[in-house]
Amino acid sequence: MPRLLLLDAKYEKPIKLTNKLKTYLKKHKIKSVAIFASTQFTNLNDFISNLKKLKIKPLITKAKRTNDKLQILGCDCYNDSFQQPIIEKANLILYIGDGLFHPKALLLAQKNNKTKKPVLMFNPIADKLTLIDNKIINDQLKKAKRNLKFFLNAETIGILVTIKPGQQFLNQAIKLKEHLENQNKKAYIFIDNTLDINQLENYPFIQAWVNTACPRIGTDDITNINEPMINIREASNPIKALGALEDDSKNKKH
Amino acid sequence: MYNLELEKAIKTINKQKAKQVLIQLPDGLKQKSNDIVDLLEENTKARIFIWFGGTFGACDLPLGMDILNIDLVIQWGHNKFNKQLW
Repeated sequence: MPRLLLLDAKYEKPIKLTNKLKTYLKKHKIKSVAIFASTQFTNLNDFISNLKKLKIKPLITKAKRTNDKLQILGCDCYNDSFQQPIIEKANLILYIGDGLFHPKALLLAQKNNKTKKPVLMFNPIADKLTLIDNKIINDQLKKAKRNLKFFLNAETIGILVTIKPGQQFLNQAIKLKEHLENQNKKAYIFIDNTLDINQLENYPFIQAWVNTACPRIGTDDITNINEPMINIREASNPIKALGALEDDSKNKKH
Repeated sequence: MYNLELEKAIKTINKQKAKQVLIQLPDGLKQKSNDIVDLLEENTKARIFIWFGGTFGACDLPLGMDILNIDLVIQWGHNKFNKQLW
């Protein structure tokens, strides 16, 4: 195996608490902020000091898969992805960086919470603020609920395993296959490198799929496919997962 | 705008006496790949190759590099990943 060097490509300029962001915080009377960033933007000492000067409490945690505090990855999309439950405690969830992939994880992480807080995205390069809320993941959650129902009723299930070392969970796939076969279901394990969802249509005998690779395949990519797919985490207890999503739908109706 | 730590990359290649190196860049930095290769080849004895496709994170490392005799993979834009089932 070759050796590996990882270089963060940190943003070189200071990340400022800009007037635009200060005005937003003041206008919304924010008292505490849960701060997350992509690895390029985690040099936030001055930014955090300036928040404290405004008497705003910064709440910081480390996601379990990351190497640094503040940093978030796309797979940090469950409420137990973080060492401390700062999302639940904060007035505001602030994401520093660009793109939607990481801040959407912060919305997905709240999918089973009663109160779902929006995420304020702050792009320090453009000094741009964008507020995103649960509306942008509604289609995903609806599809996830539908897919869980298909999975529960499926008799033939395909389990997808990647060979990418960081996302490879073959042992868990084998355990799931055994678990499903104990329930008199049939399960097949499929192995590939990058999981190409276009391949699903080549296996029409599969009634529902379980993804064991990046969890965002089972939360985001499912909106682009008709074949029902869930993540392995939900497959281990699909009734509980479905119950949590059903409770959420009931809360919305009242 | 971003600190690519090219000195660290050169130092690592030279220290490890890597002969063949694969570099992986996020999409936003791919336009700089030629400049990076030129600089690394000028300052090391290594042959540098560019990963063509996507790089989703430190969880997404290329396989089969030993078949191509790649000694070192350098991935920009990502940090150490602690693998665990999500």
